[in-house]
Amino acid sequence: MQERHLRPDEIELLLDGEEGFGVAPLRAHVRQCAVCDAELDKARELMVALDSLPDFAPSAAFADRVMSQVQVFEPWHAAAMNTAQRFVPATRPARVAAGLAAAVSAGLLTAAGTWAVARADIALLMTQMGLERVQEQVSAATSDLVATVLGKPGIETLQTSSPEMLALIMGGFVAVTGLGVVGLRSLATVSRRNR
Amino acid sequence: MPISDELAALPDADVVRLAQQGRELAFRELVRRYERPVFSLVFRMVRDRELAEDLSQDSFIKVLNNIDRYSPEFKFSSWLFKIANNVAIDHLRRRRLDTISIDGSPHASTAAEVESSALQIESEQENALDELASKELGSAIEVAIARLRPEYRACIMLRHVEGRAYEEIAATLDLPLGTVKTYIHRARHELRKALEAVRE
Repeated sequence: MQERHLRPDEIELLLDGEEGFGVAPLRAHVRQCAVCDAELDKARELMVALDSLPDFAPSAAFADRVMSQVQVFEPWHAAAMNTAQRFVPATRPARVAAGLAAAVSAGLLTAAGTWAVARADIALLMTQMGLERVQEQVSAATSDLVATVLGKPGIETLQTSSPEMLALIMGGFVAVTGLGVVGLRSLATVSRRNR
Repeated sequence: MPISDELAALPDADVVRLAQQGRELAFRELVRRYERPVFSLVFRMVRDRELAEDLSQDSFIKVLNNIDRYSPEFKFSSWLFKIANNVAIDHLRRRRLDTISIDGSPHASTAAEVESSALQIESEQENALDELASKELGSAIEVAIARLRPEYRACIMLRHVEGRAYEEIAATLDLPLGTVKTYIHRARHELRKALEAVRE
């Protein structure tokens, strides 16, 4: 049994409806002590007054002011879903028909894909033939270009010369081309400076 | 049924999901649901209607512009109240309008510390309180609440006006559960003392 009056924290324990072995003696004390009973009543009055405090309303334009500064952003997946939903028919029969059409299309595509996979060897053969044809075309075009630049004697010389000689000729060609490029560049630089 | 009525019937989590999908009406529904509680909390914190509107507006804009970062494991309202409380507390810190409890600092551990931190109320605040008493928040209890230190005030508002559980208040204000209980107990004790003084 409590010999003294309850402390504020003990009153709060009773207000919060806490349960525990320490609370029972407090309750017993309140039943016998008029001062603490009155104190607890006052505390309860305050709780009731606090619980009935009203909310306040902001001005009527508050929501519009907030929304004017909120960036409403629609993520791509939501936008895609919304777009897709627009194509979904409104009536049930139309939805069933659209579903059937989609199922038939999907079936046809699957069959075509399966056929293509089963005929993979044919596809490979056709690809190889195509590649060989491209290779022949490129080779013929290169020969024509060399014949145009070097002429028939030049081609004959190339065909009869040894690999060392061929390397020497190629090296000389690259060196002359390089010198030509450097010379032209120098001329352009000098001309720009003079201007 | 109109879309706005359908939205009103949905729980917060669903409305937030629709807002995350870019539905403007869902944003508006969230504002409609919480404009009064948020405004009330901020108004009681700063005690100035225009300022409270501006700070509440800032809170909503912060929350709604970051709605994609909302994590559904927390209550939306807790997140919103946390932002609103932080905005109000930041403002009070900047303006130095902070109140000093008639019971002294909540962190005071000795009688001397309690005494040295008690009963120092700024004149600016007194003016605000007088104005408050003569205007909308005229009742004695509102004046007594206005005299509480801001952290007590936030706890009392969330507990009694918004009816939040202690655990939820602790999560909202980022405080340990024991601290929240202590703040609420001390705040109620201060309010009882203040109201007794008015009665006498």
